[in-house]
Amino acid sequence: MTNLSAVEGMIFNVQHYCIHDGPGIRTTVFMKGCPLRCLWCQNPESHSMCHQIFFTAEKCAGCGKCIPACPIGAIHIQDGKAVTNRNLCQSCGVCTTVCLHEARNMMGTRVSAGEVFNKIEQDKIFYEESGGGATLSGGEPLFQSEFAASVLSLCKKAGIHTALETSGYARWDILQLVLPYVDLLLFDLKHMDPSEHQKCTGVSNELIKDNVIRIYHQQKKPVIIRIPVIPGYNDSLENIEATAEFVACKLGASVPVNLLPFHRLGESKNERMGVQGLLFNSIPPSEQHLKELKEIFVSHGLTVQIGG
Amino acid sequence: MNERLTKLKDRLKVDKYPICLEKASLILDSYKQTEGLPTVLRRAMSTAHYLDHKSIFIEDGELLVGNVASLPMGMEAGSLGPTWPEEDLDDLKKGSLYISPEDETRLRAMDSYWLGQGRTLDERQGLYYDDDHLWPFIKSGILCPPWNRKEQGRGPGTAGVGWGLGIGLSLILPDYAKVINEGLNKVIGDARAELTNLRYTDTEAIKKADFLKATVIAFEAIVRIGKRFGDLASGMAREEKDSVRKNELQRIAETCYRVPGEPAGTFREAMQSFWFYWMMVASGTTPGGRFDQFMYPFYKKDREMGRINDHEVLELLECLRIKIMHFNFINGGKEQRDKWAGIARWHNFVIGGVTPDGADATNELSYLILEAALDCQTPHHTITVRVHDKTPEELMIKALEVVRTGIGMPAFISDNSYLDFLTSQGVSMVEARDYALAGCLDVNLPGKSRINAFGMFVVPRIFEITMNNGVEPKTGVQLGPKTGEFASFETFDDFMKAFKEQLCFFMSLTNEEHNILLQAQRDLYPDVVHSALMVDAIKVGKDALDRALPFENGSALNMVGMINVADSMAVVKKLVFEERKVSKKDLHAALAANWEGYEDIRRMCLAVPKFGNGDAFVDSIACELYRFWADTSNSFRSIYGATVKPTAISITAHAPGGSMTGATPDGRYAGDSLPDGSMSPSQGMDLNGPTGVIRSAVAVDQSSYQATLLNMKFHPTALQSTDDLRKLSGLIKTYFKNGGKHIQFNVVDQETLLKAQKNPERYRDLIVRVAGYSTYFTILNKAVQDEIIERAEHRSTV
Ligand code: SF4
Ligand code: SF4
Repeated sequence: MTNLSAVEGMIFNVQHYCIHDGPGIRTTVFMKGCPLRCLWCQNPESHSMCHQIFFTAEKCAGCGKCIPACPIGAIHIQDGKAVTNRNLCQSCGVCTTVCLHEARNMMGTRVSAGEVFNKIEQDKIFYEESGGGATLSGGEPLFQSEFAASVLSLCKKAGIHTALETSGYARWDILQLVLPYVDLLLFDLKHMDPSEHQKCTGVSNELIKDNVIRIYHQQKKPVIIRIPVIPGYNDSLENIEATAEFVACKLGASVPVNLLPFHRLGESKNERMGVQGLLFNSIPPSEQHLKELKEIFVSHGLTVQIGG
Repeated sequence: MNERLTKLKDRLKVDKYPICLEKASLILDSYKQTEGLPTVLRRAMSTAHYLDHKSIFIEDGELLVGNVASLPMGMEAGSLGPTWPEEDLDDLKKGSLYISPEDETRLRAMDSYWLGQGRTLDERQGLYYDDDHLWPFIKSGILCPPWNRKEQGRGPGTAGVGWGLGIGLSLILPDYAKVINEGLNKVIGDARAELTNLRYTDTEAIKKADFLKATVIAFEAIVRIGKRFGDLASGMAREEKDSVRKNELQRIAETCYRVPGEPAGTFREAMQSFWFYWMMVASGTTPGGRFDQFMYPFYKKDREMGRINDHEVLELLECLRIKIMHFNFINGGKEQRDKWAGIARWHNFVIGGVTPDGADATNELSYLILEAALDCQTPHHTITVRVHDKTPEELMIKALEVVRTGIGMPAFISDNSYLDFLTSQGVSMVEARDYALAGCLDVNLPGKSRINAFGMFVVPRIFEITMNNGVEPKTGVQLGPKTGEFASFETFDDFMKAFKEQLCFFMSLTNEEHNILLQAQRDLYPDVVHSALMVDAIKVGKDALDRALPFENGSALNMVGMINVADSMAVVKKLVFEERKVSKKDLHAALAANWEGYEDIRRMCLAVPKFGNGDAFVDSIACELYRFWADTSNSFRSIYGATVKPTAISITAHAPGGSMTGATPDGRYAGDSLPDGSMSPSQGMDLNGPTGVIRSAVAVDQSSYQATLLNMKFHPTALQSTDDLRKLSGLIKTYFKNGGKHIQFNVVDQETLLKAQKNPERYRDLIVRVAGYSTYFTILNKAVQDEIIERAEHRSTV
C-alpha cells in the first residue's frame, strides 16, 4: 500500500473560508494542470503543471534589484518595470526572494498530500459547525488523479466532507480512482453542442456528458451542475434550453444548478504570467439576462441559483 | 419606515450642530448660590434647578418626548469645566459645530468659574503628578492621550450632555427595570422613610442624610419634568387641528403625567419612562442594558390584551433610535477627539443571551429591535447580540441581515466567555447571567458594577523602551528602569524578561494614575441620579463612587497594540536569537532609521509568521503576553480594594497610539497605525482568511479578560445569500465555542470607501464600524478612514 501522505502534487493555492464551493465553510485546494483551455478561464495560472513567475506590474517599483539576482539574465527593465523573458526564465524563483515590493511571486508549489491535508484539517472546527469541508478545484483536479485521490482519502479518514470541482473531462478509469472519496461533485457544463464545446474549450463534450450521467445514476453521487455564463459564447437561449433539458431529462429535476456569471479576473492574470490570452471578448452578463436564463431552468422544474 | 419616521429621520441631517448654553448657565447659577454645601447636595440642587427651568418642546410627529438640548439637534455645552481653548473651538466650528459670537463670549466668560479653582477633574489629578514620579509618564502618552499641561489633562471642552450632571468618566449600567417597574416615586418614598428613621450618631449617618436628601431633591425634579411634558402635550393637543395628532398628543400627555414617577403600565409608558431616565444618565457613553429583557413583560402584556401591534412597537423602537440621534456628544482636546474618532458614542443595547436559569432569552422584542435597526438605519444606538449554545439560528440570520446592510452592527459576544470571566471573579452564575455591556464591550451588571473610560495603554511603546534600556528613543528620557542594552541580551528569554519588567513597571504607574482619577471623581462627582438606583442604595445611603460595588470592576488596565509586540517578539526570537540571521545591532539600527537603507532586513522581518494566520509559533507568544498582562493587572488593587481587571479594547486609540510609536520589528513603519481591536491581526498581515484569524485569536485565553475585540471586514460578495449568512453564523459560533469573546464586521467595499473619502458630501449616510461603535464614515478623520480602507478585505472566492 502506498503511503498516501507522501504522494506529491502541484498546487497553486489553498484558500480558507470558501463559501461558494459547496456546503458550509470550506477550504479549497487549487491544483495545477488542466487538459482544457476555456477561452474565459479565470485561473490561467492553473493550466501548466510547472512553476511560473507571477508578476504584478502595479507593485513593481522598477528598482532593478531582481536583474542581477537572476542567474540567467532573463530580466530587464522596460518603461520602469521589470520584464521577464519567458523563453529564458527557468522558474528558479531566485528573483522572488529579492524583490522588496512583492511584485514577483512563484505560482505553484510542490507539496505532499499530507501537507495539503494538514492545511485542510486546521479548519476542522469550522466544518463541524457549518457542515463544510474540503473542495478540490483547479485547474482540473483529475489531472493529478493519484494526488487528488490521496488528499481526498485522507480527508475521508478524518471525517471531513469532500467535494470535487471538475470539468468532468477524464477517462472513466481515472474517475473511478477518485470517486470513492468524493461526497459531492461540482460538475461544469460549458456547452451542449460538441463542436461549440470544442471551439470554446479545446475538447469535445461527449466524454463529459457520459461521465456526469454515469456518476449520478450509476455511482449515485450527489452532483451540482455549474454553468459559467459567458455572453456571446454559451449564453444563447437555445444552448441554455438544451442544457436545462439535459440536466432535467438525463440527470434529474432534483439536481441543483448554479449559474456562474463571467467576470474578468482571468485577463489580468494572463498578463501577470506573460501568457498571451486566447482571442476572446466578452462582458459580464446583465442581471436581467441572468434572470431570463434562470427562468429557463425553472421551467424545467430545476432549482437554480445565481452564483456558487 | 413609515412617513412619520422618514420625516423624523430627515430632520437629523444637519450641517452643523448648534451649541446651546442653557444648561451650563443654569447649573452655574445654582452652583454660585450653594458654595458652602456638601457637594452631593449642591449637585442635586443644580440638577433640579436645571430641570425646572429647562426649555422644553415636542417636535412634530414625535411619539417619544423629551428634547435633549434647548435647540433641535443642539448640544448643550458641558457643565463640569471650562470650554475648549480658542484654536480648538475654531477647529470645531470649522467642522461640525456652530455657536453664535454672543454665545461664544458668554461661554468663554464661564471659564473663570472653573479655571485654577481646583474644581475640575484635570486640576485635581494634576495635583499628584509630581515631576520626579508620575509626570514624565503622563506626559509621554504611553497612556493615550498624552497630557501637555498638568492642569489640562485630556483637554477641556465638552458639548452634548444629557439632563443630569454625570459621574465623570465612570460608566454605570443602571437598573432600568427598577425605574420602569417601580417608578421614581418609590425611590423618593424609600429615601424619605430612611431619613425618618435616621439618627445622627456618627459621620456616616450625617453623610447618609446628605445623600438621602439629595436623592429626594433630584428625583422629585425628575418627576416634575415628566409633568411639565404632560402639561405641554395636553396644551398642544387642545390647539391641534389634526384629529389623529390630537389623539397622539393626548396620549403623550397621559403618559407623561404618569411616568417616570409611577410604575409604567404599558409598553408605551415603559418606553417613555426609559427615555426620561435615560436622559438623566446620558453622557457620551450610556448603555441601554438588556433592552429586550426588561421591556418584554410590557410588550407581552400589551400584545395579549390587544393594546398594541408589532407595527406600533416597531415604530416606537424606531422613534427611540431617532431620539438617541438627537443626543450628540463631542469631548476633549484634539488628541482625545482623535482617540475617539468621530462623534463617538457607545450606547450599547444588548439582546439575546440567557435567562437567570440558563434558558434561551431570545424573544419577539429581540427580533423587533434588529428590525428597527434594519428599517431605520442610524449609527446609534448600537446593538450587541449575546450568543450562547442555544441561540436560535433565526436570530443569528436576522442579526447578520442587519450586518449585511453595512451599518456595522450588531456585534456578537459570547456568553460562555463573559460568564466564565464573571464567575471566575466570584459572581454567582445566576447574577452573572444578567450581564450587559457598558462602553464598547466591558461587562457590567445592572446596578451592581461600574467601569471607567480610562486612557489606553500603548504597549508597543514599552517594546521600544525595552530595546533602549528604559529610555524613550524619541526624547532620550529615561522613563523606565535600566533593564539592559538590547545588544547585551544573551537569550530571547532574557529579552522577554526585560520587557515584562518594563511592562510591569509602567502598568504600576498606570494603576496609580487610575487611582488618582478614581479618587478625584469620588470627591467631585457624587451623583444621586445614578447612585440611588444601585443595589441597596437607599439602605447603604452612599454614593456609587463612594462604595465598593458588589462586582467591583471600577478599575481596569486597557491596552492597545499587543499584537504588534507579539509579532515583533516573534521576529526577534526567530531572526535574532534562533536563526541569527539579523544581528541585534542591525535590527536596532534599522528601527532607528525607520527601515531606510534596511529594506532587506524589513523584508525578512515581514516574512516571519504573523498573528492572524493560525501559526503556533507567533500565536503562543501572543498567548504568553496576554496572560502576562492579565496576571499583572490582577495583582494590582484599586482604591475600592478590588483587583484591577484586564481588558483589551481599542477605541480607535490604535491610530494616535501608532502615530506616537516608532518603527517596530514586525515591519511596521514609525507612525503607522497599530492593529485595531485586540484580537485583530496587524493590517494586511492576515493572509489565510478569516479562519486563520480566528485560529490565532482562540490561541489567547480571552476568558480572563473583561473585554476583547475582533474586527473583521467583509466584502459584500461574501454576504449575499441567506446561505452565506448561515456560513458566517457558523464562523461566529465556531469562534465562540473555542474561546472567542467578541466579533464584529464591517461590510463595505473598498471602492465605496474611496469614493466616500473623495466626495464626503455624497456619502453622508455611509456608516462604518470603528472599534466598538458605528459612526458616519465621512466624519472620521483621514487617518482612521485610511485605516478602515486598508483593513484586509476578506473576499470569499466567487
Ligand atoms: S520586480 Fe521587484 S526587484 Fe524587480 S524591479 Fe520590480 S520592484 Fe525591483
Ligand atoms: S525565476 Fe529564476 S530564471 Fe526566472 S526570472 Fe526569476 S531568477 Fe530569472
